[in-house]
Amino acid sequence: MDTFALLMQGLSVAAQPINLLYALVGVTLGTAVGVLPGIGPATTVALLLPVTYKLDPAGSLIMFAGIYYGGMYGGSTTSILLNTPGESASIVTALEGNKMAKAGRGGPALATAAIGSFVAGLIATIALAFLAPWVVKFALAFGPREYFALMVLAFVTVSAAFGDSTLRGLVSLFIGLTLGIVGIDLQTGQARMSFGIPDLLDGVEVTTLAVAMFAIGETLFVAAQGKRAPETVEPVRGSLWMNASDWARSWKPWLRGTIIGFPIGAMPAGGAEIGTFFSYAAEKKLSKHPEEFGNGAIEGVAGPEAANNASAAGTLVPLLTLGLPTSATAAIMLAGFQQYGLQPGPLLFTSNPQLVWGLIASLLIANLMLIVLNLPLIGLWVRLLTIPKPWLYAGILLFATLGTIGANPSVFELGMLLVFGLLGYGLRLFHFPIAPVVVGLILGPMAEQQLRRALAISQGDFGVLFTSPISATLLALAALALVVPLVLRIRGRGQLLAQIASDAD
Amino acid sequence: MKHLAAAAFVAGALALPGLALAADYSIMAPAGPGGGWDQTARAMQEAMTAEGISGNVQVINVPGAGGTIGLAQFAQEANGDPSRLIVGGYVMVGAILTNKSPVTLDAVTPIARLTGEFEVIVVPAASDIKTLADLVTKLKADPGAVSWAGGSAGGTDHITAGLLAKTVGVDPKLVNYVAFSGGGEALAAVLGSQTTVGISGYGEFQAQVEAGALRVLGVSAPERIAVVDAPTFKEGGVDLSVMNWRMVAAGPGLSAEQVAAITADVQKMAESASWKKTLETKGWMNTWLAGDDFKAQLAKEIAATEAVLKDIGLVQ
Amino acid sequence: MIEPMAQTTPKRRPDWAALLVAAGLLALGALVAWDASRLGSGGAYARIGPQTIPYAIAVCLAGLAVWTAIEAALGEFPQREQQDKLPILWIVGGLVVQMALIKFAGFSIATGILFAMTARGFGRVSIPKALLSGFLISAAVWFVFARLLQLTLPAGPIERLMIEGAKLLATAFNPQAGPAA
Repeated sequence: MDTFALLMQGLSVAAQPINLLYALVGVTLGTAVGVLPGIGPATTVALLLPVTYKLDPAGSLIMFAGIYYGGMYGGSTTSILLNTPGESASIVTALEGNKMAKAGRGGPALATAAIGSFVAGLIATIALAFLAPWVVKFALAFGPREYFALMVLAFVTVSAAFGDSTLRGLVSLFIGLTLGIVGIDLQTGQARMSFGIPDLLDGVEVTTLAVAMFAIGETLFVAAQGKRAPETVEPVRGSLWMNASDWARSWKPWLRGTIIGFPIGAMPAGGAEIGTFFSYAAEKKLSKHPEEFGNGAIEGVAGPEAANNASAAGTLVPLLTLGLPTSATAAIMLAGFQQYGLQPGPLLFTSNPQLVWGLIASLLIANLMLIVLNLPLIGLWVRLLTIPKPWLYAGILLFATLGTIGANPSVFELGMLLVFGLLGYGLRLFHFPIAPVVVGLILGPMAEQQLRRALAISQGDFGVLFTSPISATLLALAALALVVPLVLRIRGRGQLLAQIASDAD
Repeated sequence: MKHLAAAAFVAGALALPGLALAADYSIMAPAGPGGGWDQTARAMQEAMTAEGISGNVQVINVPGAGGTIGLAQFAQEANGDPSRLIVGGYVMVGAILTNKSPVTLDAVTPIARLTGEFEVIVVPAASDIKTLADLVTKLKADPGAVSWAGGSAGGTDHITAGLLAKTVGVDPKLVNYVAFSGGGEALAAVLGSQTTVGISGYGEFQAQVEAGALRVLGVSAPERIAVVDAPTFKEGGVDLSVMNWRMVAAGPGLSAEQVAAITADVQKMAESASWKKTLETKGWMNTWLAGDDFKAQLAKEIAATEAVLKDIGLVQ
Repeated sequence: MIEPMAQTTPKRRPDWAALLVAAGLLALGALVAWDASRLGSGGAYARIGPQTIPYAIAVCLAGLAVWTAIEAALGEFPQREQQDKLPILWIVGGLVVQMALIKFAGFSIATGILFAMTARGFGRVSIPKALLSGFLISAAVWFVFARLLQLTLPAGPIERLMIEGAKLLATAFNPQAGPAA
C-alpha cells in the first residue's frame, strides 16, 4: 500500500501540465535522434542528456525518461517503413514489418509496434516497480555457463525460424559468425581477422552491418530489377488502422513479448536483441499462420517490438537495484541519475523513495506520451511510401549514411557500409536469407566469450555446463527444439503413408 | 581554410550567445558514449562552457580498441590545431602495447592528468576469503583455482592482477583472469559468486560494498583513502600501488605558446567550481599533474606497464 | 559482377555462378583458418583458446562450400532474375563519391551527390534538379542534426555559409548581441 501511495504521488507530480510538456519535448527529441540508423538509445541519451540539466530535478527526470523511450522507439518506424533498422533491437522488426509496409499494411504494422511498445512498457515498468528485487535475484543466478546455454537455445530456435533452405540459412549464419570473429579477442587481447587494419580492431558494428545489408543491399537489388519492379508502392491497402483480426493476432504476442523481453533485459549480459530473437521464434512457432512469416506476419512485428521495449524497462532492474549498468545506455543513465542526486544501488529504494517513484512515474508518462505522439503520425508516415522510387531510395541512402557518419565520422566506416551493402545484394541475388548473418554476428561472439569464461572458471571442465540446473534446463530445451521437429517430420511421413494406404483401400 | 572556419566559428559564437553555433574546443573521447573517457570529456565540456572558458565545446566519440583508433585519428587530424583535445588514460598505455598500435602517446602533446581512481579487489560477503593475506595464500597454493573477474585483457584490472601475482612471487602468466566486457558484467559475476574475486575501480563496486554485499580485500592506493574503509595492498602485505588515471592531451605540432594557452585553459577548468562539483558527484579523485612532471610520470608508467604485460604474456 | 544465368537454361545443368559462391566460401574458410594459425595460444585454463572457435568456423565453412558445390552441380540452386547493371553502377558510384568527398567538401555536398546519383540510378530524373534537391535536403538535415541536436557531421563550404548566414541574421535582428554577452 505504501509503495502504491508513493507511485500515485509520483504520478501526480509527473502529470502537471509543464511536466507533460517536458515529456512531450523529450519524446520528440528522443525519437528524432533515435530514428537515425546506427544511433541507438545510448548515443541519443548521451547527446541529449545535457538538455535536461537546465530543468528542475522533476522536469529533467521526466524529459530524460521521454528521451530514453523515444530513442528506443524511434528505430522501429524506420525499420518498418524503410527496412533500415535504427538499432540492433529493431532488426527483427524489419523482417516482417517492412514486408507488411510493402503490402500496403504499413499502418497496422506501425500501430501494432506502437501499441505493443506501450503495453510492454506499461507492464514492464509496473513489474520494475513491484518485482525488481526478485527479478534481480534470478538475473544474478546467470553466470557464464548459463548465458552460454541461453545462447545455444537462441541459436537453435532462431535458426529454425529463418528461411526455407537449410543450406542457404546455414551459409548466411556462418558468414555472420565469421564476421563476429573480427576484432580484438576480449580474453587474450589478440587481434583476429583484422589484417593489421586498426579500424577492424573493434570488430564489425552490428548496426553498420544491419543497415548495409537491409537498406543498401535492398536498394541495389530493387534498382537492378529496373522497370520490372512496380513504380510506387500502394501505401494503404485495406484499413490504415488495425482491424479486428489484427487486434486478435496482436494482443497475445504483445504479452508474450513482454514476458520474454523483461527478464532477458534484466540479465546483465542478456541484451535487448536476444529477447526479440526469442519472441520472433516463439511467435512463428505458435502462430496459426506460419506461412505468412517472411511475407509480413503481424505477430512478427507485435512480439519483438513488445520484447524490445520490455527489455528496455528490464535494463533498469539491475541498474536501480544494484547500481549495475548492463549496457552502454544504462551506463549513460547512471551518469544522468548521479546528476539528479540519485545514487543507484541496493539502498536506493529505501533511502530515496521519492526519486525512484518519481522516475517510475516519469517512465509511465513518457510511455503514454510516446503513443499519443506516434499514433496520429502513422497516416503521415505511410505517405512516405508514396514518394516516387528514385526520391524514396535516394532518401533512404541519405538517411542510412547519415546515421553512420553521425555515429563515427570515418571514411572506413562508410567503406564497410558499401562492402556489406554489396554483400547484401549478392546474398539476395542468390536467395540467401539476410537475417541469419546479423544473428550470427550478434550471438556468435557472445556465445564464444561466455563459453570460454565458463571453461576458464572451471579450469577446462566441460561438465560444469550440465551441472548447473539452469544451464542444464536450457540445453535440454535446445536439444528438444532440435529433435522434436525431426521426430514430427518423421511421424508426419508415417501419417502420410498411412493415409495413402487408407486411400488405396 | 581551417583558420577562416575557426574565425567564423568564434565570430558566430560571439554573435549568437545561447544559440549553439560554433565550437572553439572540440574534445575527442576515444571511446563510445557512457564510459569513463566519454564522461570525462562531457564533464569538461560542461565545465568549460559554464565557466566561459570556451563559447562552445563539442565532444566527438571515436570508439575502439582501448582508445588507439581514436588516438591514431586524432594525431593525424589535430596536427597543429590548438582547438582539438583528446581524453585518454592509463588503459590507453596498455592498449597501445597489446594492440601494437603504430601511433603511441609520443604522437600527441600531453597537457595534464585530471582524475584518477584506485583499484580494489573484492569478494562476495559470504566468501571464506577474509583478507588479502588469505587470497595470497590461496593464489600461491593453486593459482588456477582463483578466478578473477575484471575488464578486458590487458586493461588496468588485468595489469593490477598481474602485478599483484608478480609481487607475491606467483608467475603472472598463471593468473586465471576472466575478462568481461563492461564493468557491469564483471560486477554481476562477482555478486553471483561466479568467480573467486573481482577486480576493478572502486566506483564500480562502491554501491555494493556500502550495502554489505561485497567485501573489499585491498585498495591499490599508496595509503588509505577516505572513501574506502579498507586496508591498502601494502597493509595487506603486498607492496604495490596502481592508479587508473585519466588525462587530456592536445595535438602534435603546436608552438610552446599554444601549449601554454591550452594548459592555462585546462587548469582554469580544473580549478573551477563546476568541475569540482562534478568530481564530487561522480566520486572522481582530483589528481592534477601538468607539464614536465606529468611527462616524466607518464614515461615511467609506460616502461613499467610494458614490463608487466610481457610478464603476463600479452606483449612479446 | 556475376553473369546471370540465361532464363532458358535447362534444368539439372551445373550452375557456374553458384559454384563460384562455393569457391568463395572455401576461400573464406581458408582465410579464417590461416588467420587463426598465426594467433598465439592463451586461455590455458579454459583449454579452448582464441583459435578454437575460428578453426571450428573454418571447418564448417569448408563443409558448407562442399554442400553448395553439390547443389550447384546438380543445378538445384534457385534461378536468378536478369539484373540491370547500370543502376548498380550509379548507386555504388554515389557511395564512393560520398566517401571520397565527405572529409573535404562537407556533409551536404557529398551526401547531395549521393542523393542525386541514387535517384538517377532509379530512373530518368534530371541531374541538375536531383543535385539541387540533394544539396538542399542534405543541408537541411545537417542543420537539424548538427546544429540543433549536436551530432558531429563534417562541415564544408555549404555548412560554413549557413553558419555565416545565421550569424548575419542574428546581428541584423539583434544588434546588441556582442562580445559583452
